[in-house]
Amino acid sequence: MPAPLPTYDRPQRWDAAFDPQVTDAEVSRLLSVPPFSGMRPENFPTRLSLRDILKHDTRIQRYRRGEIVVRAGDHGTSAFLVMSGQVRAVLGPELPPSLLGRREPTRKGIFRVIAQLWANPKEPESFKTSQLKQDARIGARQNQGEEVKIFLQDVPRILDEHKTALLEPGEFFGETAALSRMPRTTSLFAESEEAELLEIRWQGLRDLMKYDEALRKHIDEIYRERALSSALHEIPMFRHLSDEALQQVMARTEFGTYGDYDWSGDYKRLVQSAAGGQRRMEPVIAAEGDYPNGVILIKAGFARVSQKFGNGDRTLNYLGAGQVYGFQEIVHNWRRPNAVVPLQYTLRVIGYTHVIVIPTAVMETVVLPRVPKKDLPRLLSPAEDQETTRPIDAGAKIGADMLEFLTENRFFNGTATMVINLDRCTRCDDCVRACAAAHDDNPRFLRHGPISDRLMVANACMHCVDPVCMIGCPTGAIHRDAFGGQVVINPATCIGCKACFNNCPYDAIRMVEIRDQTGAFLVDKEMKPILKATKCDLCVEQLGGPACQRACPHGALVRINLNDLDAFANWLKR
Amino acid sequence: MISFVKQRGIGLSFLILVSALLVWLHRRYSGAMPRLSYLTGWALFGLILLLSLYNARKKLPFVPLLSSELWLQSHIYAGLLTAALFAVHISYKLPTGWFEGILAWLYVMVMLSGFFGLVVSRAIPKRLTTRGGEVLFERIPSIRRQLQERAEALALTSLSQVKSSTVADFYARELKDFFEGSRNVGLHLLEVRSPLNRLLNKITDLNRYLNEQERATLDQIAGLVRQKDGLDYHYALQLLLKVWLFMHIPLTYSLLLFTLAHIVLVFAFSGGAR
Repeated sequence: MPAPLPTYDRPQRWDAAFDPQVTDAEVSRLLSVPPFSGMRPENFPTRLSLRDILKHDTRIQRYRRGEIVVRAGDHGTSAFLVMSGQVRAVLGPELPPSLLGRREPTRKGIFRVIAQLWANPKEPESFKTSQLKQDARIGARQNQGEEVKIFLQDVPRILDEHKTALLEPGEFFGETAALSRMPRTTSLFAESEEAELLEIRWQGLRDLMKYDEALRKHIDEIYRERALSSALHEIPMFRHLSDEALQQVMARTEFGTYGDYDWSGDYKRLVQSAAGGQRRMEPVIAAEGDYPNGVILIKAGFARVSQKFGNGDRTLNYLGAGQVYGFQEIVHNWRRPNAVVPLQYTLRVIGYTHVIVIPTAVMETVVLPRVPKKDLPRLLSPAEDQETTRPIDAGAKIGADMLEFLTENRFFNGTATMVINLDRCTRCDDCVRACAAAHDDNPRFLRHGPISDRLMVANACMHCVDPVCMIGCPTGAIHRDAFGGQVVINPATCIGCKACFNNCPYDAIRMVEIRDQTGAFLVDKEMKPILKATKCDLCVEQLGGPACQRACPHGALVRINLNDLDAFANWLKR
Repeated sequence: MISFVKQRGIGLSFLILVSALLVWLHRRYSGAMPRLSYLTGWALFGLILLLSLYNARKKLPFVPLLSSELWLQSHIYAGLLTAALFAVHISYKLPTGWFEGILAWLYVMVMLSGFFGLVVSRAIPKRLTTRGGEVLFERIPSIRRQLQERAEALALTSLSQVKSSTVADFYARELKDFFEGSRNVGLHLLEVRSPLNRLLNKITDLNRYLNEQERATLDQIAGLVRQKDGLDYHYALQLLLKVWLFMHIPLTYSLLLFTLAHIVLVFAFSGGAR
């Protein structure tokens, strides 16, 4: 008898409350203040009552004067409601990186690069005191049982030097970033002596919007104003539209988030349980054979395009931000109303996907009549069914197995994924030694990782499109470099909390015990070693790019953007 | 991105053209320029010096000195070019004196070891990939120890569970030595599988004397034998990928030293360069 298949307990809503400390009394207090006092509990279903949403999907955060609430550029999955006190939003100029816990982007000059020959410390991860020193204009404090909070020492000066806006009780902020998983655009800090904020995680915000018309309208307006307009302007097919036509499209465009933002945790559990069957966990956004209700534009996250094959589905491609689905079918149906075709492929969420949907009616009446014929995709024909001629079929470029491998492991998230061609790699470890030489004698990656056919994806930071490691860093130490966008860690502000280490689904971050210049381990007052998170920084400070790639004598190692499958296919065929 | 085939085509074309040009120039001017061997000698020495700089480039990975791949390609084709230069320098005749004989043989050995390295660097990675079971070379001893401990534990379990020493005796007689270290290094290099097959046959033969429980234990031990054999395979091939450099680099340094002495001797006994 075959062994029973291992099973995986799918996480349920509210398996883990946002803050288990939230009491019923606090929920009652929330229900008595706007906007919740104006919400009608009877509009919420029994399984998702307003009280339950507030109890499980919110937490009360108290900030003192100067404490930073969110930083521009951070990724976050929650929105905030000002309950009491006042919060300031920095409109411009942006706060300098060092005030946000980040490292000023620097590149070593040629002399400093050469000086590494003799100036590199003898022991790995040794730091000078100056390297661990924070900007004197910020401080850190931690109350009993609370997260570490970073505060600005000189609030009046900030107010003097920066244009800011005041947020009063009852006002929301951070909802666009929470709903669309886009980086936060503004830094905010508490201005009053104490500010009480209600942090609502995205699932709660989504449900509140779903069952409360006023909130939905309010956030809808903000979203359309701030995010939708810029998103539509980026799409080539809309460039022929007048402002008036674009307004019509914008007014009727829908948006939504599918899947789960916390996919990193789920993905890790799936891999550990080795149960496979990830597709069972991927909600369908649009199914093959259905009528195309609208053009779907991926705004954030990723989606899998698949087609029925035998008794399963075969992955044809994955779509990332800026790519569209269903356009060809809608154009075909508009041009051939007597030969209407259904959707040719299924679109599934991988992890989470934030989409914008332009309804078919809007496309047919407002958009398509204004698009020149030469810019329209060709009509669907039986030839489309031939696997090798389908333009959407990335499997034809890189091989179906390779595409499944990249998709199953979610490697498409990487913009600088380390891929090693094992048929050419002589296992000489020159890449590892080069990495160590460029990073204080501590290599920032393992020449080890998942293998498909002749390719290995090494355990090195991929500098993800959706860097889940950046969610929840209390000090802003992990951030995108202001020059090249690489995900880097500032050792001066990293407090070794392991948030990024635990979040990274690819095990690309290591916690290391750091040393002083004499090589002795640094310890805290309780004599515990001081930990810092380290990872590949793509040699952001070095000249000439990633040392690992430059050190490979056989052209076996590449740092490549796996969203660019043409470049990847070219490298594979090399 | 230039393909490997195109890269090889460009390199080989360059090599053939420049080598042919060298041979032609040597023939053309050897009569007219009595001291042509000085020129070819200096060119050869300069080229060898440049080739040896590749090792220095490897020690400076953070300095932007072009990619190591480009350096290796230049190293290979410039290295092969030295063969033509060496041939014209010695006028196609191996020297007869003991010092120059050693120098010539050192050059030949450096050349052959480099060529050997090139061949193994291209051939062995594919074999490792095909075999699977990718492992870091430095981790092989600890994995081997783990396999040994698991195999020993299984043999001992059999002893206590079925009160029979058949499996344990077999382990001590046939497998203990196999698990203690890397085995069949040479045979793995030659892709000979007979030692593994022999062990597995012995395991199969033993099965007829065992009860069901012992057979299950022996099956698990057989699995470990296969894993250990795979580990030995990786050890042998990865070792070869590393050790050839331990011939090539010391020989290169010896060649450089002998070449310096050769230059001194040439100038000492020829009355200086003209």
